[in-house]
Amino acid sequence: MEFVVISTLNGVIYGLLLFMVSAGLTLIFGMMGVLNFAHASFYMLGAYVAYTLSGLFDFWVGLLVAPLVVAGVGILVERFMLRRVHAFGHAHELLLTFGLALIFEELIKLFYGDFPVNYQMPEALRFAAFTVFDTDYPFYRLFIGVVAVIMFAVLFVLLARTRIGIVVRAAERLPKMAESLGHNIPLVFMGVFGVGAALAGLAGAVAGAYFPTNPNMALELGVIVFVVVVVGGLGSLKGSLVASLMIGLFSSFSIGLDWSLAGLFDLVGLGAWAHSLGGLMTMTVSSISGTIPFLLMLIVLLVRPAGLMGDRN
Amino acid sequence: MRTLAAFALSTAAIAWATPTMAEPLRIGIIESLSGSQTSTGRLYAAAVQYGVDLINANGGFNGEPIEVIEYDNAGGSTGAADKFRQAVADGVHIVFQGASSAVAGQITEDVRRHNIRNPGSEVMFINVGAEAMSLTGEQCHFYHFRYATTAPMRVNALVNAMAAAGELGTRVFSINQNYSWGQDMQAAIEAAAAAGGYEVVEAVLHDVNTIQDFAPFVARINAADPDTVITGNWSNDLLLLMKAASEAGLDVRFGTTFLDQPGNIANAGDTALGHYLANNYVPAAGDPAFAEAYAAAVGHVPVFVEPPTIFAVGALGLALADVDFAGGEIDVTEIAKALEGVTYESPVGPISVRAEDHQTIRPVVVSRVARGTQYPVDDTDLGFEPVSVVAGPDAIYPVQASCEMERPD
Repeated sequence: MEFVVISTLNGVIYGLLLFMVSAGLTLIFGMMGVLNFAHASFYMLGAYVAYTLSGLFDFWVGLLVAPLVVAGVGILVERFMLRRVHAFGHAHELLLTFGLALIFEELIKLFYGDFPVNYQMPEALRFAAFTVFDTDYPFYRLFIGVVAVIMFAVLFVLLARTRIGIVVRAAERLPKMAESLGHNIPLVFMGVFGVGAALAGLAGAVAGAYFPTNPNMALELGVIVFVVVVVGGLGSLKGSLVASLMIGLFSSFSIGLDWSLAGLFDLVGLGAWAHSLGGLMTMTVSSISGTIPFLLMLIVLLVRPAGLMGDRN
Repeated sequence: MRTLAAFALSTAAIAWATPTMAEPLRIGIIESLSGSQTSTGRLYAAAVQYGVDLINANGGFNGEPIEVIEYDNAGGSTGAADKFRQAVADGVHIVFQGASSAVAGQITEDVRRHNIRNPGSEVMFINVGAEAMSLTGEQCHFYHFRYATTAPMRVNALVNAMAAAGELGTRVFSINQNYSWGQDMQAAIEAAAAAGGYEVVEAVLHDVNTIQDFAPFVARINAADPDTVITGNWSNDLLLLMKAASEAGLDVRFGTTFLDQPGNIANAGDTALGHYLANNYVPAAGDPAFAEAYAAAVGHVPVFVEPPTIFAVGALGLALADVDFAGGEIDVTEIAKALEGVTYESPVGPISVRAEDHQTIRPVVVSRVARGTQYPVDDTDLGFEPVSVVAGPDAIYPVQASCEMERPD
């Protein structure tokens, strides 16, 4: 029971963090068709900007302003780089954003050094929210979860229930038609890209204070975020949410499990033989928990190539 | 054809006219100078350069200053194999590397093969940080020297010091990364149980630096109810583990091996207070002259992988003083033989090479994170306070049976 409750709590919160980062990525892909390799770099940028601002002013200023700064960077990238290569197709956009990711990483190293910086949450937030089974549950983890949930709600309402959402969706579905109806399509795209970047920036500002803020954070989270988006279905916000939670829960539960192939043989009385073989037989699930998201991606791609909630199933 | 002949003649004439230059000793650093492990790779490179500068200030070697060439292995063994070939083409005599056991495994194998195929122009590999046991076990060979500790050395020292301080307890949780280093650590922790008077309540291996959320692991630690957690984790894996543990209100002592990596203490903050570290050197241990001299030259006291690297270059300097090629061709085998006999006096004790497997017999320093120490780290008020210095002969473990070293004649 204790294992189930704690693993669920941990898994859900980690899943929500993954969702925060992947939401912007899936938004940008869904609305603009751009697979943005530099997305995790916006996450890193958010953390570093928030770190800088929290040193100059305070944590909350960093949290609020960092997404705006990152949105600004995102808008510049869209306006002066992506728009130029858009006509040449996806491969060019992909290569451009891939290059940007490398450049962002080196720029961060240039300005902030190779080592993790000391970005901390304020003392006021550093307390235990509640105690489950003798373990304190840090409030900040709940804070990360709440920010993610609010973000999802706002995004969903914005896209599904407002006039802005209608224009954005129209621009994605039939850009020529929307343009001839008098909507400024390039401006819409620029806005979407900016909002997507801002979401990543916000995630960075929130999570950077909990996880280390270092020049590798984009690399570390970047891969897993792509897995989330692929599993959930490229472009589907709801799919991202479901996939994030799944990956969070699977990772969390797998860590507590000492299952191995040899354990299976125990059931039929061949356990001792299987244990003596070692190698693959005695490898426990917990030791490969980092691989589980990729296994999930493999299965989803085989069964539903467009992802769990992708449009093209 | 005539111009070609004329060209050949003229170059021959130039070669004839130039006075014969002494062959400079070339040191190649094959490190992660880009990618995710840049920070550590840079420290190795800086420390080698510092050590070589000291030798060059005393006249260099073979009548020439020693040349240092940096090669970026981009963090992987493929890149390292590529750069090793380039280093050989550039005439490098001695390769330095430390940041990864996987890369070291590649380099040591490349060096071994190169030396078999090219008798008379051997290359030597000084390993300053790759701690996998196999490097001095089944992979050992005459031209590989390890100037670093290994898992059993660190764990034995750590366990003894923590037990002596009454902080070890009887229940130890082992959590390590699932590759050669982590597996070595786990084996060492289990092997030291009887001597340390503890029981390994659980041993966990996990993926290397891909896990973002350590809360589930902390839940597992909590369920096992240990007194001490011993871990060989480094970089993010260590930081995230310690942070998650402190946030969950877990009351355990950590015994670590890489807590001194720059940025760790700043990030962990007061969470790190009271945790233990077993490594090669902390500035507060031994003669402060070494740390002060480094600080004067580089701007900060030597940390993390810098001290063992400087010790290794220092030992090499002593070996070079024992050989003399009179400005002629450099024979790496002679240097390797000389290095075997060298005892380098580090600020915390002598370091010498064990001839059987070329593992160094070296002191291990156990320290504890405390407030208000002499050398605070990471711009915090925390630093490492030495608890004990375990002398080389007490820290060393028996030669592994798997090492069959063939010595040159």
